[in-house]
Amino acid sequence: MEPILAMKHIRKTFSSTVALGDVSLEVYPGEVRGLIGENGSGKSTISSIAAGMQKADSGEMIFRGKPWRPKSMIDALQNGVGMIVQESGTISGVTVAENIFLAELGQFKRLGVIDRKAMNRKADEALANIGVKDVRGSTPMAALDFQTRKLVEIAKVVMKQPSILVVDETSTALSQTGRDILYGIIKRFREEGKAVLFISHDLEEIMEVCDTLTVLRDGARIRDFKKEEFDPDAIRTSMIGRELQGDYYRSDFTPSRLDEVALKAEHLQSGSALKDVSIDFYRGEIVGVGGLSHCGMHTLGKILFGAERPDSGRVVTADGTKITNETVAMKQGIGYVAKDRDVESLALNTGIRDNIAVAGMERYAIGNVLITNAKEKRYADQQIQSLSIKCAGRDQLVSQLSGGNKQKVVFGKWIGRGSDILILDCPTRGVDIGVKKAMYELMTSLKKEGKTIVMISEELPELMGMADRLIIMKDGVIMKEFQRSEDLSDAEIIRYMI
Amino acid sequence: MAQSELVKKHRVRELLVALLPIAALAVLFGALCLVVNIKGYRLDMYLKIVFNEGVVLAIVATGAIFIYSLGSFDISLGASTLFSATIGVMVYNASGSLPLMILTIFGVAIGCSLLSSVLASVFHIPVFVTTVAMMSVLSAVAAQIITTNGGALGGIGIPATVVAPLDNVPFKLIALAAFALLCVFVFDFTKIGRRLKFLGSNAVCAKLSGIKVNVYAIIAFVMAGLGVGLGAFLTLVYTPSVTPTTAGSIGMNILVAIVFGGMPISGGSRSRIYAALVGGFSYILLNNILKIVIDSGAGYGISQIVSAVFFLAVVYVTSMNYRTKLLPR
Ligand SMILES: Nc1ncnc2c1ncn2[C@@H]1O[C@H](COP(=O)(O)OP(=O)(O)OP(=O)(O)O)[C@@H](O)[C@H]1O
Ligand SMILES: [Mg+2]
Repeated sequence: MEPILAMKHIRKTFSSTVALGDVSLEVYPGEVRGLIGENGSGKSTISSIAAGMQKADSGEMIFRGKPWRPKSMIDALQNGVGMIVQESGTISGVTVAENIFLAELGQFKRLGVIDRKAMNRKADEALANIGVKDVRGSTPMAALDFQTRKLVEIAKVVMKQPSILVVDETSTALSQTGRDILYGIIKRFREEGKAVLFISHDLEEIMEVCDTLTVLRDGARIRDFKKEEFDPDAIRTSMIGRELQGDYYRSDFTPSRLDEVALKAEHLQSGSALKDVSIDFYRGEIVGVGGLSHCGMHTLGKILFGAERPDSGRVVTADGTKITNETVAMKQGIGYVAKDRDVESLALNTGIRDNIAVAGMERYAIGNVLITNAKEKRYADQQIQSLSIKCAGRDQLVSQLSGGNKQKVVFGKWIGRGSDILILDCPTRGVDIGVKKAMYELMTSLKKEGKTIVMISEELPELMGMADRLIIMKDGVIMKEFQRSEDLSDAEIIRYMI
Repeated sequence: MAQSELVKKHRVRELLVALLPIAALAVLFGALCLVVNIKGYRLDMYLKIVFNEGVVLAIVATGAIFIYSLGSFDISLGASTLFSATIGVMVYNASGSLPLMILTIFGVAIGCSLLSSVLASVFHIPVFVTTVAMMSVLSAVAAQIITTNGGALGGIGIPATVVAPLDNVPFKLIALAAFALLCVFVFDFTKIGRRLKFLGSNAVCAKLSGIKVNVYAIIAFVMAGLGVGLGAFLTLVYTPSVTPTTAGSIGMNILVAIVFGGMPISGGSRSRIYAALVGGFSYILLNNILKIVIDSGAGYGISQIVSAVFFLAVVYVTSMNYRTKLLPR
């Protein structure tokens, strides 16, 4: 059988970084091909070249028997290759409909004026077509949360009925409902004899969704796996080039904590997101907060850090200090890893060093004012080393890092300053297994040091694997609290979520 | 190609880019000498003009870097230079005290700046909006004061002898150097500078990193006010009188100067103090060259246009260098 898309000897460098050495990749009709590899292995690069987002330095592509040289993502989409990108692929200043029809507003022009009604109606259709019913075309994009923005992007791409759909690390931005929508689309593509290129760090997911797997490492294609060859250990080993030892999550199953409250949320009320939520967080405790995307847990994270004010209720630390804004929170030793990484956690067009240093200056400022380059460099290098951030140097722009390495920079920023209370919103999103393991180990050792960790996550396995106490929320209300135990069953937990 | 070779090539390119504004300054300097020579004018006279105008622009622009690093900008800096010089003259003429005059100039300049930023933060409007309003108000009030008090002369002034001892190159150089050093110190060696730059890179993230946005905006404006005060004082040292057009174009010129100096107008981590110094002098050189080349009389409009074209060209070239492909990954 002829491949739909054949990429041959693709090479891509960024100044000093070789992102792809010489990679060939084929995708066949009716195939869902997974791409897996460590952070920075070249997954986004190869797939975005196929989707016209950037051009290869050398190599050629054949798409449906003809040379394939897309001029842009829009060009690629119009001609049959659509991509859902790893971070935000939408613009927040406009409406949902405008995002969907950004490149083709012309078709709604009547006498030079855009017919918004028609455009909004079409957008509603596109959304309904993928099974999203509660979002309207006329809604401003800014009013939507991260997951819903992703769904809009999916609707936009799928509407053009591409022959190949590239899904770059999207599922971790989605909760179960969103994922089901995505899996449905993938299934449809397979049945229609189209193809999907699927990127994920979630091994279980990728083995479930894909028919074949291609492993990339350091910009080279290492090995392919057919469905019948799928074996987690073998895949992991070929991903990182050595065997991954030891346990992934915590090995103990007894909940533990110090007998000392570090942070209290008291009767938090916030619009429809939180309804009378009270939680005590203890020192030396990992508290998992789970639920569907809209359950209020992300708002809770923001309020705990003082980034949002509740309508009523309050957040206080052990010594009675009320958390009213981010500055107070940081003075109290609270750190916050936001979910929307590229907007809230990082300044993209700025170096790694500045991004790490911005939250930790009091650690090395002389007299809390004076900054010397030498000290700052040392501080940044420490984080780069201890988190093994893959970069060309400490001053490389964060925008040039792969998704997982960006997340490590965010971790470095908050861990470096020695936060006593860490609020982590989807901390391992887009992070490869090696790094994930390192982050879990870090969380365990922070716990042992008596720190408090609030882990907000849409991944049930990691919540169950790491938390001493698991709080499940639904519609702004705490539905149930589970203690750490070997016998926890995900089926039971999910019952409280939906 | 080998990895190390690639790294080297990259470094060299970055260095070249960084040196570009300085090379431009040198070229412009050579060009000025050349045209002055061709026209048979006196070079020392032109150098003096360039120096005096350049010092004032460079100082005000240096202070303004703090505002520009936020990705914001202040169009009223020229008007507040005029305004503080005007009030300074009035105070001297009423009191006869030079120290009081200097204090007043700085006080008024910083006051104007503070007012812009505080108004902006109180009313939650972008700060450049308030600076547009400030520009109109300040220049109108200054013009009113000058015409009522200056009468037929069209200007007001202090006796030339008061500041004459200061009207020399060493004093002005020291003033420029001292201010530039202060700014470099605050900008590059303190928490304040780091935070300002970060704020300019991503305000949302800055806020979530514990940086108080309003507080730092006010600090930036105070630093700019200091520059305006010093610039206004040096303007008076150079020409001890003010007319309604004194320093009029500084507000716009700063913008051009900073871009000439190689700093992106969007601010952020690529903000540099030396952009104001290098760019300030480059801009004045270019301006004078154009004035000489294009015959002064009818040439005013033309030289503005040429200067604008130049500006666009520089913005284009510099933005090519710092524009990185922002892949949404
Ligand atoms: N615009 C760029 N400028 C410089 N380097 C880049 C750029 N884009 C990607 N790179 C580098 O190319 C390499 C491959 O990046 P890529 O984004 O393809 O990784 P990835 O496999 O998608 O990783 P992740 O799982 O973290 O998303 C990385 O080392 C990255 O730093
Ligand atoms: Mg990627």
